[in-house]
Parts: sequence; C-alpha cells; structure tokens
Amino acid sequence: MERINKKSWPVFIILVVLLAVSLLLAAATGAVDISIKEIIEILSKGTDTVNASILMDIRLPRILLAAVIGAGLAAVGGVMQSIFKNPLVDSYTLGMSSGAALGAVISIITGLNASVMGIETTGVFAFIGAVLTLFFVYSLAYTRSRMSINSLLLAGVAVSYFLASVISFLMMLNHDKIEHIVFWTMGSLSMATWNEFYIASIFILPSLAVLMYYTRELNILVMGEDAAHHLGINTAALKNILLITCALIVGIVVSTGGTIAFLGLVAPHIIRLVIGSDNKRVIPYSALLGAVLLVLSDTVGRVLIQPVEIPVGVMTSIMGGPFFIFLLRRQKVK
Amino acid sequence: MDNHIQIEKLSFSYDLKKVLEQVDMNISKGSFFCLVGPNGSGKSTLLKVISSVLKPQKGVVYLEGRDINHMKNREKAKLLSFVPQNTSLEFDFRVSDVVLMGRYPYVNKLRGETGEDMEIAEKAMEYTNTTHLKDRSFMELSGGERQRVILAQALAQEPDILILDEPVSHLDLQHQVEILNLIKKMCVDRKLTAITVLHDLNMASAYSDYIVMMKEGKIMRQGTPFETLTTSNIKEIFSTDVYVSVSPVGSKPYIYTLTRPNIEKKGVRVHVICGGGSGSSIIGTLHSEGFDLSSGVLAIGDLDWKISKENAVKIAEEVPFVGISDEAYAMNRELAAEADAIVLAGLYIGKSNKRNLELLLEEELEGKPLLILEDESFAERDYTGGIALQLYECIKGRGYAMLTDSKRLGEEILKVVETHGEN
Repeated sequence: MERINKKSWPVFIILVVLLAVSLLLAAATGAVDISIKEIIEILSKGTDTVNASILMDIRLPRILLAAVIGAGLAAVGGVMQSIFKNPLVDSYTLGMSSGAALGAVISIITGLNASVMGIETTGVFAFIGAVLTLFFVYSLAYTRSRMSINSLLLAGVAVSYFLASVISFLMMLNHDKIEHIVFWTMGSLSMATWNEFYIASIFILPSLAVLMYYTRELNILVMGEDAAHHLGINTAALKNILLITCALIVGIVVSTGGTIAFLGLVAPHIIRLVIGSDNKRVIPYSALLGAVLLVLSDTVGRVLIQPVEIPVGVMTSIMGGPFFIFLLRRQKVK
Repeated sequence: MDNHIQIEKLSFSYDLKKVLEQVDMNISKGSFFCLVGPNGSGKSTLLKVISSVLKPQKGVVYLEGRDINHMKNREKAKLLSFVPQNTSLEFDFRVSDVVLMGRYPYVNKLRGETGEDMEIAEKAMEYTNTTHLKDRSFMELSGGERQRVILAQALAQEPDILILDEPVSHLDLQHQVEILNLIKKMCVDRKLTAITVLHDLNMASAYSDYIVMMKEGKIMRQGTPFETLTTSNIKEIFSTDVYVSVSPVGSKPYIYTLTRPNIEKKGVRVHVICGGGSGSSIIGTLHSEGFDLSSGVLAIGDLDWKISKENAVKIAEEVPFVGISDEAYAMNRELAAEADAIVLAGLYIGKSNKRNLELLLEEELEGKPLLILEDESFAERDYTGGIALQLYECIKGRGYAMLTDSKRLGEEILKVVETHGEN
C-alpha cells in the first residue's frame, strides 16, 4: 500500500543522475581508461588525440546506442505487460525478438543487406520478422474470441524455440557467415557506429513518444479489455497501434544490437516495486532505467575479462534469468 | 423519453451456436430491470450486446432513441457504464486512480484530468461509501469493497444506464444486500436505469421493478415480479418445483424451493397426526430419512400443512376453524389405515381437532403400531376440559401404542414395523 503512495519525482531525479553517471563511467572505462577531465576536454574542444578518436569513434556511439536501445526495450516490456496484463510478458518471451533475429539472419544469408538512405534492409527484415511472429503467436493464443494469457506465453516460448532452431539450422548451412549470425543471436553492441545510433534514435525516440501518449489508456487496459471498451476506448485499434509500435522498436533494436533478453522484463518491474503501477510514470521511468542498465551491462561486459568481450545479450541474460525466476515464484505465492 | 432502451428483433450466435433469438425488449427510464434464467440462457450475452462488446448478427439496440451502431465509443461511455461480476488487477492501482478512470470519456488527452473530474470522482466515492479507501491499493480490498469501488468508477462516468452482470454472485449476504441497496438507490435518486443479471430469484423479486425470464436465448416471460415469479413459470424455465408465497417484508413474491435430493425410499408409510407446528420437524426429518408420509387432519394454511405441502406429503385437510368434517375425518382414517405406522405428535387439542384423537380409537386401526410423542405433558395441551385427556389415556392403553421421543423416532418406527410384520 505504501509503495503506491510514494512521491515519484525523487525517483525521476535519481534515474536521470544515474543515467548521466553511467554514461560518463562507460565513456571513461575500457581497454584504455580515459579520465573524466579528459572526456570533458575532448567533448568541448574536439582535440585530435588517440584517446579522442577512441572516445568519439568507438565508445560514444556504442554507449549512446546502448542507452537508446535499453530505453526502447524497457518501455516495450512495460507496455506489453500492461496490454497482456501479465508480468512475464516482454518482447523476448513472446518470440518477437527471435522473430526479428530470424528476419535479420535471412537478410544476411540472402545477401539482401543493402542500404537505402541509411536504412539497412536488415532492419526492415527484423521489423517484419518481429511483427509476423507477434501476430502468429497472438493468433495461436486466440481461440473462440478469447485469449488466454497462459497459451500466449506458451505459444511465445514455443515459437521462440522453434525460431531459434531455424536460426541454428541456417547457421549450419552458412558456415561462412556464422560469426555474423552469432552476433544477432547473442546480442552485441561491438559493431556500433554513429550511423546505427542515428537510425536507432530516429525510429525509437518517436516510437517512445507514441507509447507515452497512450499511457492513460494503458492504465485502463489493465482493468481488462471489456472494461476499457466500456470506458470508451477502441481496444482493438489501440492494441494494434501499441503492438506495431512495440514491434518497430524491437525490430530496430534487434537489427542494431541483436536479441537482448530480459531487459524488458527487469526494468519495468523494478520501477513498479518502487513507485507502483501507474503507467504514466512506469513507462518513462522504465525507459530511463533500461538505458542505465544496458549501458552498465555493456560496460561490464567490455571490461570484465579483457581482452575478451562478453556480448551484452549474455550479460543481460545472466542477470535477468534469476530475476525472471524470482518473478515466477512471486506470482506463485500470490 | 419513455423507452430508455429499446431492443428490436435481436439475434446473436457464436459461430454456429445460436445464443439469442429474436429478442424484443423495452426498458423505461429509472427502472431496476432484472434478467433471470438458467445458466447458458443468453443473459450475459444480451448484456454484452446492449453494451456493444458483441455485435449482433441481426436486430438493433437503441439507447435513448439512438442506434448504438452509429454512436462513437466515447459517446456510449458517457451514456452507459458496466459493472462485471468481479474485477481483479494484475498490476495494482490506488482506489482513487481506479475511480478516476471513470472520467476517461470526458478527459481531454493533453490537458489531463481537471479539478472538476476530481470532484466528480470524489462525490462518486462518497456516494458509494468508499472515500475512506481512497489511498488503499485496489487488490488489498475485500470483494464487497472492490465492487463498491467499481460502482464508484461507474458513477464517475455519469451514465444514464448501468449494466451489471451478476454483480453480487461472489459476495456474502451482507455485501449482496449492500450492493443491491446501492444500485436501487441510484435508480431512485439519479433516475438511473439499471439492467442486471441476478441468480437469486428472491433478491430479484425484492429489488426489481421488472423481470425478464430467459431460456435458451429467448425471452419466455416478462413483467412485474408478481406477474413473472409464479410456480408454473419457474417450473417451466428453471425445471424446478417451488412454492411461491408473499414475503412478509416488502410484499414481494417469495420463493421456496421444494425439490429435495433423491433419497432412497425405505418403503415404509407413516401417517402423522399433528397440527399447529407440532408435526413440522417430524415430517421434515422423516421425509429426509426416506419414509413415505401422510398427515392429517390439518387446517389449510397451518404450518404443518405448509410443511406437508413442501414435502409433497398426502394430506387430509380442512378449512380452518370449522372443526373436522366427516369427509376430512374419513380421508384421515383412510390415510391412517394405509400406513404401516401412525405417529401422534405433541399437538394441542381443542374442540375443533378433538376428532383427530377419536380416530385412533377406531376399530379399523386396532393393532396398527402407534408411536406417541410426549415431549410435553398431555394435560397441559388439553383445551377440552378433560375430555381429550380421557381419550388420550384410552389410546395409550391400546395394544400397539408406545411412548417415544422425537430424536429416536425413525429408528423406533423401523423397529416396531419390523416386529409387527413378523407377528
């Protein structure tokens, strides 16, 4: 009861500060440590040292990309949990991420990874993969005009496994591209460029704005679809808008960073534990926390066992898996 | 407007299964309107069609004269709100936030909720007595409290029509009454039209202005509680035997169920001489133990007579206060003669029922096992100035008469009938 009442603006400030700190920390640490003072110098004066090029060409685009992707994934998780009224739903458990990964892999194998006006076909394929998978899983769970959340999750996990094995099969057949494909399945930000950051931002930031625009409706959806209908919401249209926006974000995320698991599950839950369930705050706060978590995970992955880099998808899984189990147990207790 | 809601030739089917067939209904403003019927009769579906969650294949619903197909969702939400059986949230919200959601159809998206919206939500909470719950979390509330909060949300919508699908089915008696009182009050105070599904026919009778009885997707009967809740209608629609009386409080029909579980019959017939309530518990108990029963002579309307009727017992009956006529006496003798045993309950004897004792001295009943209940001394039950007491002493002296008490009655009857059969 108490947690519902808490004032939330201090949480907001803490999150903003955390994001700033983690961005700076991520910029400073790595194979070569760069002092904060030097970072500020490079950013303000544009010096032309080795450290400057490491920061500007390699670290900064990667860190900023991590922040944008993290925010997108966390917001998607929060939105989908509200739409389906279940805390275990996110882009990963519903198979969207695997669908996007398969789309990306297909574009790589077929050699269709051309670039039109900076937009890679890989991204387009990933988006299509995410949307198709989502609607396939959705139709599996939807029987006799009723949707059961259990069948939705089961269908999501089953389809996810199926798609993962299709990807493995494609990997077997295409030895030459195996490294490239592994990148998608594990989730990695090591190839981040400014271009990727721009593309991700152009799509993800407006999508986040769309999700934020509908947070009041999202709250009402938690009451159930019929209740939302009786309050004057066109539920079918609203769900379509939200889910397609989510698929767009997931497609972009996967096409730039591969499949990154559990972030969409963890961030919204931590926020709800602290400030309650009001989506008007849960969605933006989750986005901030998602950015913080992904920037930190990626940084830890970079420096933990140098010179080897742990892919960020592996990092989030290591941390997110136990959290998922914790959630499952909590739900059982309820 | 007289007809607040008008339904014309409505038909609805899920896939190929017909759920509603040619439903016509007119509902007038400010009435408490109740749908009753067995499970699967289409009541909930009808509510969903009225609230436009489901689209009918045929027919039209008019709200305040307007076709719902031509209304926008928000317009409908300002006119009509819906209260489901129960509400549970996977993610928890504060009670005041849940109530404020009722303002959604009025809220400008960019400006958000105004002070006026807050005020209306607060008034709705006052009306439903939920103000003290305002900062609590919704999921921590009891079922009754939650239902009141959902009613507050519905009120915050400022509707003219309130639709409720079994709003009290999950609640205990206190909360059932509380919620139904609240809905009734809304109908009266705010001229709100309430359409509700109720399973408890006596609740439906007590609260409804108008009742619609449905079966297999069709409207079978409609009218006031007195017009609809009759023995024959209930038998037809619910396939259940009932006895309908008038409730002493509220003067509405009151329904007693008669159908009892199928108990294995013992094949033993017992005739009970009783009256004035002295035989009620005996008849109830023996019937539930599987004895075949008859009783007499009973005045029509007497408590024992009612209990006998409920248990479908054969009765020798008589008009009250006139004494026992020869016909009734003969009937009583016949029933007693057919029985394997006779029970004399601890009844009060006065002038009008003295012949019930005389019967037991009839030669025809000589040798028939007779069990006499003497929980209270007979002298105190004698209002004939000693005549009955004399008769009673004679009866006690007869061959097969034995005294017993009501606790062991069933066993004693079986024992005595068995030994009697051997002789």
